[in-house]
Amino acid sequence: MAFNIHTSHRLLFLIPAVSYLVLVAVCAVIPAMLEQQREAEVEAPFEDALLERGRRLYRDFNCVACHTQQIRGDEALASVIEGERLIPVLKADARFGREVASRREEYAHQQPPFMGTQRTGPDLSSVGRRLPEAQWHYWHLYTPQSVSPDSLMPPHRFLFTTTQPSDDVAADYEKVLNIEGLGLPGKELWATPDARALVEYLLSLNREFIEAEGLSR
Amino acid sequence: MKIPVGIPVFVAAAGTDPKFAKMVSRWLVSAGVWLLLASAVGLLEAFRLVDPEILADHAFLTFGRLRPVHTMTMLFGWASMALVGLMFYVVAKSAWLPMNNPLTRLELISSNAALWLVNIGVGVGAIALCTGDLSGGGEYRRYPWYCMAPIFAAIGIVGVVFYRIIARRRVGAVYISCWFAMAATFWVAVVVFMGYQTFWKTGLAWVIVDGFYIHNAVGMWFTPLAVGLTYYALPKLLNKPIYSYALGVLGFFTHLVFYTVIGTHHYIHTPLPLALQTTAVIFSVAMIVPVWASTGNFLMTMKGERLAISHSYSLPFIFVGVLGYGFASLQGSFESLRSVQETLHFTHYTVGHAHFAMYVFVTFLIWGCMYGLVPRMTGREPPILLVTLHFWLALAGIAVYVVGLCIGGQVQGESWVAGEPFMESVRKTLPHMVWRSVGGALMLVSHVFFFLALWRMRPGAFTMAFTPAKGG
Repeated sequence: MAFNIHTSHRLLFLIPAVSYLVLVAVCAVIPAMLEQQREAEVEAPFEDALLERGRRLYRDFNCVACHTQQIRGDEALASVIEGERLIPVLKADARFGREVASRREEYAHQQPPFMGTQRTGPDLSSVGRRLPEAQWHYWHLYTPQSVSPDSLMPPHRFLFTTTQPSDDVAADYEKVLNIEGLGLPGKELWATPDARALVEYLLSLNREFIEAEGLSR
Repeated sequence: MKIPVGIPVFVAAAGTDPKFAKMVSRWLVSAGVWLLLASAVGLLEAFRLVDPEILADHAFLTFGRLRPVHTMTMLFGWASMALVGLMFYVVAKSAWLPMNNPLTRLELISSNAALWLVNIGVGVGAIALCTGDLSGGGEYRRYPWYCMAPIFAAIGIVGVVFYRIIARRRVGAVYISCWFAMAATFWVAVVVFMGYQTFWKTGLAWVIVDGFYIHNAVGMWFTPLAVGLTYYALPKLLNKPIYSYALGVLGFFTHLVFYTVIGTHHYIHTPLPLALQTTAVIFSVAMIVPVWASTGNFLMTMKGERLAISHSYSLPFIFVGVLGYGFASLQGSFESLRSVQETLHFTHYTVGHAHFAMYVFVTFLIWGCMYGLVPRMTGREPPILLVTLHFWLALAGIAVYVVGLCIGGQVQGESWVAGEPFMESVRKTLPHMVWRSVGGALMLVSHVFFFLALWRMRPGAFTMAFTPAKGG
């Protein structure tokens, strides 16, 4: 068999296939393995059932379709302070109340990390510090426009249940207070365990504190 | 100027194995059904970005869940099924197989089985996503593993069938369309494996695999198949050879090397290794070489054929698709630059670009190849009125959509850089969300006309009448 790719379908299959596998190893497999080694140096976070449930709901309602969890940095302006490499935040990302860009440690052990590629709504990597009130998040999830006029976020009313004041409600439901703006006259609004878990997860997103610890180390 | 006149389609189609024609047609009609469903879902989502209260009271119809139903059904239901269906025909023809008996019985049965595996995967996938199982994880791989498994099996079957057809070709050289077909089925198998492996499922390792997956799923599957189809359909429809075969080979190999390593450009300015980011940017720019090798090749083939294109109902689609390939990819190279990403990353501009590439490039080429090739297989031509309505509505719709979103994305990004309150960027882009809905509505209407035209091209009694006995 002459070595002619034009007339040999075996060569024509093998050459692109093998080259592709080599390139995949170089650009994806080996970098991923190196990152995995670095990740192992970061301590795994404390496991909490409610947080884990909230995280899964964040994934299954596909919040990452519109919300990032990454603050981009300007590599050109990086500086080293006390052995830590700090990258200042890009102008477009400066509004979310963070001093330094997202760092590798923030994503360690997250399965999967919700870095995101779309920012139809604001970044959530530090939402727990920007908006620390659980009640605000309940109003917002029930009708986003009640606290954020002109918001494009879809309401998540199916995470709540309304009752008459006299009705009995299961113990793991949490009452939503000050619901005058939500258009439910004479009713009570309760956050289901799913809503509680999701809000618990949102409040845990408090990335600047993680960095502050990193700085003092 | 002379209009090239090939043989009439019913003569070209005469003798085609009806079982083969039906198998290919099933892939195409399935694709058409998924296209209608996915565009309806996409339009609903577009409306909701104007009024978020639409159908908001059901968890299974919520925005976040229907969005991947739209993208996944478009990618795997529409584009994949249409490209594979057409590729069966193109591979068999360019291998010079006798069209009265191109596939063995076993190959026919497995190709039909592959068809249903994909349909099951996409159908169950839509239900799984609506009921809230997004355990697949990343963008364009939101299906849980049990929906992707049948699709993966179908890719394997299709790859083996393509290989076997090419292996028993009745001509010495393997035509460039077959290069793309054979390579793409192997590449996408690797891509899907990488997307669903469980070795790297946390932290930045996951992000690296995600960047790889997002871009390779597009570039090592849809692009090579669409370009491969065009290398067959365009010379065939113009009744002349391709301008330069060598440019096609150059395009093939540079595509393989450059496209594979650019996935990280979805994660620029992140903590990912800088070397990986910079490699991605450099090769994103280098993508101009394979893209314009093929685009230029196609344009040079079309040079001087204005009359032929304006008299054809399939060539205008291919002409638009070729320009779409060249310019959507050029836009992508431009978007990968760091300075551009500072403003445009995360904005609606990206969505505009994604639609530019998947619609003006891939989808228009699919339509051109369908209108051009399917009648040569079934002997039935679509009604010109339907095709005309389809073409102009789709073109107007996508133009409004892409221009609207690209301007909207620029407005959004500039608002962020200027440090305005976030809600200001939402308010400023509202008109662009309205334009997106208008464009989407025009596209959906055009898809209805397309589906009717596709249905009229299905193999029927007419095809059978011209079918001589097997083995002739």
